[in-house]
Amino acid sequence: MGQAAVAWQRVVRHLGFNGEVYADEVAPEWHSLVRPASALRPGPDDLVLYHHGIASPLAGRVMHLPCRRGVVFHNVTPSRFYAGTRLEEALVSGRAQLTALADFVELSIGVSQFNARELEASGHRNVKVVPLFVEPERFTPACADARLTARLEGAGRPRVVSVSRVVPHKRMEDLLSLHEELRRIAPRAELWVVGGYAAGNADFKALQRKADRIGGVTFLGRVSHAQLVAAYRSADVFVSMSEHEGFGVPLVEAMAAELPVLAFGAAAVPETMGGRGIVFDEKHFAALAELVQLVTSDAELRAKVIAGQRERVAELSFSATRDALARCLPKVPRTPTKRGPPRVALVVQRYGEALTGGAESLARQIALRLKPHAKLEILTTCATDHLTWANELPAGRSMDEGLPVHRFPVRRPRHLRPFNRLSDSLFGKPLDFVSESHWLAEQGPLAPGLLDAIAARSNDFDAFLFITYLYAPTAWGVPLVAHKAMVMPTAHDEAPFKFEAFADVFNAPQMLVCNTPEEAALIERRFPAAARRRVVGTGIEPMPAKPERFREQFGITGPYLLYLGRMEAGKGVVDLVRRHQALVNAFHDAPSLVLAGSGNVAPKGTRVICVGRVDEQAKWDALAGALAVVVPSRYESLSLLTLEAFAVGTPVIGNAASDVVVGQLERSKAGVPFNLDDDASFSEAVRRIGEERAVMGKAGKKYAAKSQWDVVVRAYLEEFEQIRRKS
Amino acid sequence: MKLLGKDITPARVMAFVGERLQARGLALPSEDGLSENGVEARVDPLSFNLQSLEANADATQGLPLETHRDGLSGRAVVLAKRIFRKAGQIFINEALGRQRVFNGHVRDSYAQMSAEMMRLRQRVDELEKEAAAVAAPVPPLPVIAKLKKPPMPPSAPRPVKEAATVAAPAPVIAKPKVPNRKPPAPPSAPRPLPRNSRRGK
Repeated sequence: MGQAAVAWQRVVRHLGFNGEVYADEVAPEWHSLVRPASALRPGPDDLVLYHHGIASPLAGRVMHLPCRRGVVFHNVTPSRFYAGTRLEEALVSGRAQLTALADFVELSIGVSQFNARELEASGHRNVKVVPLFVEPERFTPACADARLTARLEGAGRPRVVSVSRVVPHKRMEDLLSLHEELRRIAPRAELWVVGGYAAGNADFKALQRKADRIGGVTFLGRVSHAQLVAAYRSADVFVSMSEHEGFGVPLVEAMAAELPVLAFGAAAVPETMGGRGIVFDEKHFAALAELVQLVTSDAELRAKVIAGQRERVAELSFSATRDALARCLPKVPRTPTKRGPPRVALVVQRYGEALTGGAESLARQIALRLKPHAKLEILTTCATDHLTWANELPAGRSMDEGLPVHRFPVRRPRHLRPFNRLSDSLFGKPLDFVSESHWLAEQGPLAPGLLDAIAARSNDFDAFLFITYLYAPTAWGVPLVAHKAMVMPTAHDEAPFKFEAFADVFNAPQMLVCNTPEEAALIERRFPAAARRRVVGTGIEPMPAKPERFREQFGITGPYLLYLGRMEAGKGVVDLVRRHQALVNAFHDAPSLVLAGSGNVAPKGTRVICVGRVDEQAKWDALAGALAVVVPSRYESLSLLTLEAFAVGTPVIGNAASDVVVGQLERSKAGVPFNLDDDASFSEAVRRIGEERAVMGKAGKKYAAKSQWDVVVRAYLEEFEQIRRKS
Repeated sequence: MKLLGKDITPARVMAFVGERLQARGLALPSEDGLSENGVEARVDPLSFNLQSLEANADATQGLPLETHRDGLSGRAVVLAKRIFRKAGQIFINEALGRQRVFNGHVRDSYAQMSAEMMRLRQRVDELEKEAAAVAAPVPPLPVIAKLKKPPMPPSAPRPVKEAATVAAPAPVIAKPKVPNRKPPAPPSAPRPLPRNSRRGK
């Protein structure tokens, strides 16, 4: 139910409404994504959708909320399965609450027709059906955990998998009986049960004893998403013996994992199966064992069943849920566009003159360049520090060189240590939507006011330009105004870029503004259904520079290599200093390394000069005077630093692992790529620069001259116009 | 046993399964159809909550003794819990005495409120039904009534008007009398004469 609530939050955003998830009990580490119900303060026009199952104190609280109310019913297990246990009362109580809610909600949603019928039987009026959905792209072979797949590879056949908690109404004892029959005709048959169980529980112990007697049974317990996919993908058949399901998500997941499904037709199961797979009405275990064997061995039958199930998965898609929910909620009104200069909202996670950060400074430059041609407003947060998102600037409206800037406070600061721990635990693994959303919420910045403003002001603008894909305002803001959204993703090949949760950022908007052809190609490879892409890039206007001024200011003599940007390990600065120290140790005339910028690392070394953050004039002076500029970062969507160095005739030594930087160096012939992990490669690059600096500097100037602001501005205006015409 | 599935031929699959079972000398599944799964019965919250309050009002009475352990350790745990309860019951009674009284008041208050609510709901239902009956539009006259009446035979008795026999229902909510801006003149007041009639005076 919790997973459904988070998934529905995404659905609701796609309908133009900003929503948050609240729960009665929330572990502190989840507070970024799910807020405690005690913090819920809805306004009179807000709609609270309460997801109801077993008895909850929330049901009573919902009835008293001073707002519009709806209920989403996931069903309650009939109490007869738990007669005589402490759970019995909570189950009956859940049904009593359902009846009590009937007069206090204006909208009642069943996640299946079956649930809708129960809602009606409980006195609910205005009853609708909005099915749950499964994302098939999260159940591909690539999403399977390699370790578990390897472990299950040698298992006997046929392999039956069942996914559910080990609780009475799921009828695990029936699964074991089936397995016992199956072992009679296929002695190497395996049964894998995925789902939580209480190891010390007497009932479970009885099941385990029976399983041990039969043999070939593995209780896998709670597993990660990747392990779940591995279990599905390694099995031959999925079997459900459950005697009550309000929907039955694992049935659809198994279908998505291309696994034939055999299910007992209880409650909503036949409806969820939608005529696909095989539904049976009698637990004749010997017959079912023969059926399992048939489905496993008959390739033709198996292929037909899988093909049919694929269609069912397509029917239970995100868009089906979105369309069904759209029929329940009022439509967001859309006012016709006006003539005249385009009205544009630029959404960016941080904004200001004194910010270090490529994407943010590019955002400001674009805003200022577009100012004479468009009615532009900036929607951003109060944060200036992208590590903590601390609210350092006042909330509200201010002006930046004539541009209105609306700042919204960040609800929750980011604590780097737990965030990095979370990232380490998630990166590189296939995840479910909730885990990815949790990471995104921790990534932040969480500014609910900003999202509210995007949703509320959708008619005030002809287009919304979102800058940087990686942060919550873009990931959650784009779906709110997808019909008017354009995104400058500044994407590069990093761990979160593989998250499926970012598909909305790339697939939903009207177009993507790419900075380089490499970025566009990268997006196309990762998100084949991505919106139209256009390589626009940026303009460069160098200031007249005097290298001596920079040298005098910081007491620098002799040739120097320059790094300019955020001083963070992720930018490759620490490794760069290591390579430079090797160079200094090997060559007595090695150039110095000047590091300009602020951040959380301050590397030291022989002939390493840290000058801190420098102003615009000093930057150009430093660039012009450098032997070469070094770009050690692997993750670049456009190296602005490279273009700026080229513009003043300074060649660049760039990280060979970055396709974007290498592309820029190759197209310009004004620099040398190097391996950030290899001393020899770095020293060879410096040597080449020393020999060919003049030629490369000339080539760089010629290349940078193509980056003209008027071309960039024209491209943006064309795209704004196109969006305006469409809407 | 019946199978459902658009992508299989259930009869053929069941025939295959039946053959296999017969070959093994096993009984065949029954031929009954798929049973209808009805929805669960509605639970009335007012009576359920009252029942539940009654059942749990006495805080000194413990819940049934349970353990998730089985075997000897499970029995030992249940025994230990029972001994603890027995030994401590006097203290439990002492500690939870006031809670018991409080729960009793909560139960009784809820019983009174829920009974009152049920009475009010019933009354609202009655009033709504009566209001609906009053507000119901007058059915249009049957088409036949618009036809010219046939001439009455001279000897036939005159029909009694139906409306005269059926008393109009009294309105449920008496409409307040709104005073007319121009009250009708009392019958004794002299009527103004038309201009023409004054001409001769």
